[in-house]
This record gives sequence, structure tokens and C-alpha cells, in this order.
Amino acid sequence: MRNKKAKNALLFILFVVPAVAFVLFATDIPFVMNLYYSVFDWNGIGKEMTFVGLDNFVKIFTNDTLFWKGVTFTLKFAVFYVVIVNILSLTVAVVMSKERKSSSVGRAFYYVPYIISLTAISLIWKFIFGPGFEALYEITGWEFFNWSWVGTPKLAFYVVVIMAVWQNLGFYMVNYIAGIIAVPKELIEAAKIDGANSFQVFRKITVPLIMPAMSICMLTSLTFAFKLFDIIMVFTKGGPANSTVTVAYNIYQEAFVRSNYGLATAKSLVFVVFVLAVTAVQMKITKSREVEA
Amino acid sequence: MKKVKKVNILAILVFLCSIFWLMPLILIFLNSFKPYNDMMQHFLALPKSWSLAMYIETWEKFNFPMLIGNTLLYTVVTVLAIMLMAPMAAYKLARTKGKASGICFILLIMPMMVPFQSYMISLTRVVAKVNLTGTKMGQILVSIGLCMPLAVYMIHGFVKNVPIELEECARIDGASSIRIYFSIVLPLLKPILTTVVVLDTLATWNDIITNQLIVGGNARAMNIQNALYMQFSAQTSDWEHALPGIVMSMIPSLIFFIVMQKHIVGGVTAGAVKG
Repeated sequence: MRNKKAKNALLFILFVVPAVAFVLFATDIPFVMNLYYSVFDWNGIGKEMTFVGLDNFVKIFTNDTLFWKGVTFTLKFAVFYVVIVNILSLTVAVVMSKERKSSSVGRAFYYVPYIISLTAISLIWKFIFGPGFEALYEITGWEFFNWSWVGTPKLAFYVVVIMAVWQNLGFYMVNYIAGIIAVPKELIEAAKIDGANSFQVFRKITVPLIMPAMSICMLTSLTFAFKLFDIIMVFTKGGPANSTVTVAYNIYQEAFVRSNYGLATAKSLVFVVFVLAVTAVQMKITKSREVEA
Repeated sequence: MKKVKKVNILAILVFLCSIFWLMPLILIFLNSFKPYNDMMQHFLALPKSWSLAMYIETWEKFNFPMLIGNTLLYTVVTVLAIMLMAPMAAYKLARTKGKASGICFILLIMPMMVPFQSYMISLTRVVAKVNLTGTKMGQILVSIGLCMPLAVYMIHGFVKNVPIELEECARIDGASSIRIYFSIVLPLLKPILTTVVVLDTLATWNDIITNQLIVGGNARAMNIQNALYMQFSAQTSDWEHALPGIVMSMIPSLIFFIVMQKHIVGGVTAGAVKG
């Protein structure tokens, strides 16, 4: 009996421990180290670490304009991104969910940006907004192409929104299509017989029944917006004049550009709490709206 | 009658827009064959010749064989390691009750709750502590660790719906636990494993952030995305080399997409729960 127990334990270790070891190394341990570093003043390289208690956190909330500028940018981006990407992808999904041959081609077109790398995406848009717009201005003479899109703080915001929407629309489209296809055809036919028009059918039948897909899309788009980092790091680097610094990018800047390692880890903890809180609220709201078919 | 027309207009708009959506990629492709002056003067036109000269020059100048070799190495090793370890862990955890199992599961999927950006700075410290900064080994270990949580989570959900009776029958027939896993459980997991392979292949091939953080500027261990980023992302306007470089870096992803299209679309929906 004891022998069997030992054997089971051994099997458990053999099956589970390798996976756990990798995750501990790459994510769990770094996360715990964050907690530890957040109460120190440290530049990330030197031996000198000063214990400062909660000073880093106090600093974030009282004396850190760039962080709060990042919060404002992130919130503003979240509103634009969540609204635009969900409306567009739902519209596209409504059309593309019809069974036609052309639909699968159209879906693929919308989806391709989602599977190419961020390096390619950022260089592509750099080219389009730079030489591309310059050439288009020569051709068309439209002033719109002559604006310095990447170089002006106000316009750079829209550049980031455009890139994020362009890259990710396909992902939300696929989720919405899966939801729309699952809506029972009988319900729609019954409503049509009763004299409902397409918009009424969409509003009163499709929308309530695709709430699960909608909550997934809302949730993922919202968390994507809050965590916005990759595009900023690869494309704008927070510029021009720190106008596109997001919360996540500010953490990165603090650690690697300004070498305030302790402060950066403190910020990342504030960031985690913030993201978790918002997703929890969002989940509760959308979950309560879901209906059964 | 009027109603039908209205729907058609929306459909036409959406289809036109899909071509517009692809436009940046088409323009990059067309312009990658042109000398810089032609790009500026005939931006929208077809190239005068489809000469591959700039492609070959870029291939040689930026050491593409090594870059593609590195990227391929990272992708293949990561996917194989995930395929070996993730189903084992997910299966065992789904079939074992108790405290140890619960704790291991939480350790494995905790990273899905917290954003990567919150621990990435300490991750670079951990990698530095074990002297793996700038090495291929460091990149591979981190890449496996980052792909693991979602893989385990998805397979775990799938295993719970696999009937346990099959395993019990095999056990009565005298098969060992390891044998049962490899010859009965693993084949049943094929649908979800395909999904995981697709997601992890794309994630590793396209990865730039991890490679930037772990490998940084060490040319020997860079992947293709990081190398292109380091070469062309700064102030340079060397578009004659950048555009062929971008196109070449995208070709593997695009081929993979065309071949695996069905699985990619399905897989992404399945992985959507990730926070």
C-alpha cells in the first residue's frame, strides 16, 4: 500500500514538476521578486539597495506626473479602442458570417494583420505614414497627407489607435462570427414571419444571444487597451514628447531608461491591482446581461 | 425589396473595406521591388521590374540564414517542449485531487491573471542572475515558461471532458500509467494539441518583446523580428532593404496561416479566455 502511494507521488512529480519549474522560472518567481523590490530604492544593477518602505508607493500617488499622464492616455485609448474595434468587428462579422464563398476570403483579409509580427506591423505603418503619405500628397495634393502624423502629439494618439484597430480587428471578428453562427436560425425566421425588419432582428434577437461572445470581446479589448505596451515600445517609444506613454510603457521606461528599479516594480504592482479590479467589474457587468437561447 | 438593397450596401462596403484592410501589406509588397526614387514617385504603381536583387542583397547583408535559423530553433524547441510537458501536467492535474495538485495548478495558471508587463522587469533580473542574459538558452527557457500557462489551462479544460473509463479499462488490462498516458490519453487530446501548436508557433515566431528583453542587442542570439527591429526601427530610412526584409520575415507566417487557416481561427477563439 505504501509502495503504491510512493509510486503515485513519483508519477505526479514526473508529470507535473517540469511544467511547474518552467513557469516558476519565467513568471512566478519574477512576480514575487517584484513584491520584494518594490520597497527598495535601487537602480537595478548596483549592489546598493536602500530599504524605503512604502515610499515608492507614496511617490507614485503624490509626485509622478508622467505616470498619471500615462494613466490618462491609457484610459483615453481604452475608450476609443474598445468602442471602435467592437463596433467595426461586429459590423464586419454580421456580413462575413453569411455562408458565401467570398466570405472566407474577406475574413482572411481582415484576419491577416493579426498573425504578422509587431515588428512588421510597426515598420509597415512607419513606411505608410512616412514615405507613403509623402508620395500620396504629391499625387493627390490633399493636405491631410501632409500632416506630420507621427510627429504631432495629438495625431500620434490616432496613429496608435489606427494601428491597434488594424492589427486586432480580425481577432474580434472571428469571435463575433462564432457567436452569430450559433444563433438558432428558427428564432430569426420566426421573427421575420412576425414582420420584424433586419435591424429589429439584429437588435432584439442576435445581440442578446451573442452576449457571451460580446463579453469576451469587450473583456479582451479592454484588457488589451489597459496593457497597451508592444505597439508603443516598438513604434512610438512613448514619443513625441512623451505624448503616447501608456501605464505599461511608463513602467518599462522607469526601469530601463531611468534605472529607478524599485519605483518601477512598485508601479507594476499598482498596475496589476488596477487591471484586475477593472476586469473583475467588467466581467460582472457583462455576465449579468447574458441570456439563454 | 428595399430591405434587400440596404443589406447589400452594407455587405459591399464591408467587402471593399476588406481590400482596404489589406492595402498596407499590398503596398509594402509592391514597393519592396522598387528603388527608393520609384517608391516616392510611383508609390501606387506596379514595380517596373520584379527583380529579386534587393531581396538577395538584404538576405546576405543582414545574415538572414542565421536569423531564420535562430527563429526556427526557438519556435521548434518551444513548441516541442510545450507539447511534451503541458499535456502531461494538465492531464495529471485534472485526474488528481488534493492540495498539491491544487497548488501546482494555481502556480501554473497564475501568470494568465497578471499582465506580462507587470513582471517583465523582474524577469530580466532572474535571467541575469542565472547568467543567461543574451543567450539562446535564456531565450528558449523564458519562451517555454511564458507559453506554458495558456497551454496547460486549455488542455486541462479539455481533459476534464475525456471519459475516464477508457483509462480504467486499460489499467485493468495491466497497462502502466505511463503507457496509458502515451497510448490512450495523448491521442485523444489531438484537437486541443493542434490548437496549442498553432498558437505557440505564431507567438514564438512573431515574438519581439521577449527577445528584446532577454537577448537585447546580442546579434548571435537575435531572432528575425528583433534583428529587423534593431536595424530599421531607429531613424534610418533604408527602405530599400527594410521592405524586402519585412516581406521575407512575414512569408513563413503567411504560409503557415494559409495552410492552417481553419485551425488558427478556431484556436484563437478557444484561446480568447486569456486575460
